[in-house]
Amino acid sequence: MGVLYLLSLVLGIACMLLLDHRFRLFFWRDAKAAAIVTVVGVLFLLAWDLAGIGLGIFLRGEGTIATGLLIAPELPLEEPVFLLFLVLCTMVLYTGARRLLDLIPARRRESEREREIV
Amino acid sequence: MTYLWLALAFIAAAAVAGVIFARQGTRSGEARSGEARSGEAAKHWKAVALAFAALAVLTAVFDSVMIGMELFHYDASHILGLKVGLAPIEDFAYPLAGVVALPGLWMWLTRKRSGGRGDESRSAGHNLKGLVPQALLASRPVSWINTAYPFAAAMLLTTREIDWVLIVGTFYFLIPYNLAMYGINDVFDYESDLKNPRKGGIEGALLQPHLHRPMLWLAAITNVPFLLVLAFAGGPVAWISLAVSAFAVVAYSVAGLRFKERPVLDSLTSSTHFVSPAVVGLALAGADVTPGLLVLLAAFFLWGMAAHAFGAVQDIEPDRQAGIGSIATVIGARRTVRLAVGLWLVAGLAMLATPWPGPLAAVIALPYIVNCAPYWNVTDTTAARTNVAWRRFIWLNYGSGFLVTLIFILQWSLTS
Repeated sequence: MGVLYLLSLVLGIACMLLLDHRFRLFFWRDAKAAAIVTVVGVLFLLAWDLAGIGLGIFLRGEGTIATGLLIAPELPLEEPVFLLFLVLCTMVLYTGARRLLDLIPARRRESEREREIV
Repeated sequence: MTYLWLALAFIAAAAVAGVIFARQGTRSGEARSGEARSGEAAKHWKAVALAFAALAVLTAVFDSVMIGMELFHYDASHILGLKVGLAPIEDFAYPLAGVVALPGLWMWLTRKRSGGRGDESRSAGHNLKGLVPQALLASRPVSWINTAYPFAAAMLLTTREIDWVLIVGTFYFLIPYNLAMYGINDVFDYESDLKNPRKGGIEGALLQPHLHRPMLWLAAITNVPFLLVLAFAGGPVAWISLAVSAFAVVAYSVAGLRFKERPVLDSLTSSTHFVSPAVVGLALAGADVTPGLLVLLAAFFLWGMAAHAFGAVQDIEPDRQAGIGSIATVIGARRTVRLAVGLWLVAGLAMLATPWPGPLAAVIALPYIVNCAPYWNVTDTTAARTNVAWRRFIWLNYGSGFLVTLIFILQWSLTS
């Protein structure tokens, strides 16, 4: 029984939350909305997993870095944790990209003003 | 291939949700200019694209690592076989669906209440107030059974058991299907409905213009998931019949197609509205196609055409005033009534050609013919009077449904 995978996921989640905290992107901007998005996202992806398992497409591996604990047939304990990471990563990337896009026109205006002055 | 279909279904659901949320999220009040709104939307989708680009790279790398570590694998017969590293191409569907839907939800939840006092959200809430009751009224609850019954009967008589597909499908054809059919119809019919005092009661409601867009969204949101689930439960025949059914619902009244204004095509499309649920039921149940079944469906189709044509007679005046065409405005009241009587007659005679106890159903045509025959010599100016017969017609359908049910029970007991 390995905990390496689970540990990596938890570490990944911690990193996402650190980014979130540093730049006030997601939970640190609107905790309630972020919680709703996270719950909806994880449940949506979990439903997808279950549909795939039901159709016999997704099969659990026997990798030694996983705990091997199952919360449903073919659904390892790590899966919801992974989905949580995926949702956080998606939202940090999106909100971060929005932040960057907001900066571009601001800079362009600044440089235009500088040119006018010159 | 199975994984691809599964992924496409979930991506479609995510895309619909994402687009709707993003639109609602950018529309934070009338105070905002259209330009600011479209700039906001452009920024949103640009950020989504950037985030997906990053996610795709991360997926290619880490999915490969995870599969390499044997954390999970796939049944090779279910995937396309196209891979990036070790990651099957279908695995990119997860981040794609997430990045399309979730930022939209986030934007909607965190949308700015411009003015800062929450007036916008309150007025938006007020605007949408009454949408659901209006939509339900518009969907003619008295006629819901006319689409749900053909589906349920066709499926139950074929499979002889009540499973989840039967329950989901019956619910779909009972409410969401009618919401879409009549909702879309009333939005695009607003002009002529305004001049028609008959609307607003048993046969439909006037729909306020500010509810037109929400109504169309409501129709889409309540229908698409059901169509996907039902398509998922069936094979290619079910897909085709569902597609035909959904197309007929939209094409009947939507601007640009407006099949309801094209004589003959209007009656054909209207009848499809009632026969296609039965065909979907048969397709989902995997029914054998027999000559008797085809004759039955043909008779049902003729009955539906007659019903539509006769219903159009009473609207000749308002339709002409609003510049709307129909089979009745084109060939005239008298010939339309006679056509309807003829179609009911042929439908009844056709039932005589079906296997026992089908011929019993021939008698059902009689009340319709009797109800409609007094208007054999109706003129365009007296056409509005046929509304009396039309009101009887709505209740006649319940009697016919009763008789049809008795015949189905007889058929069930004879074959079991």
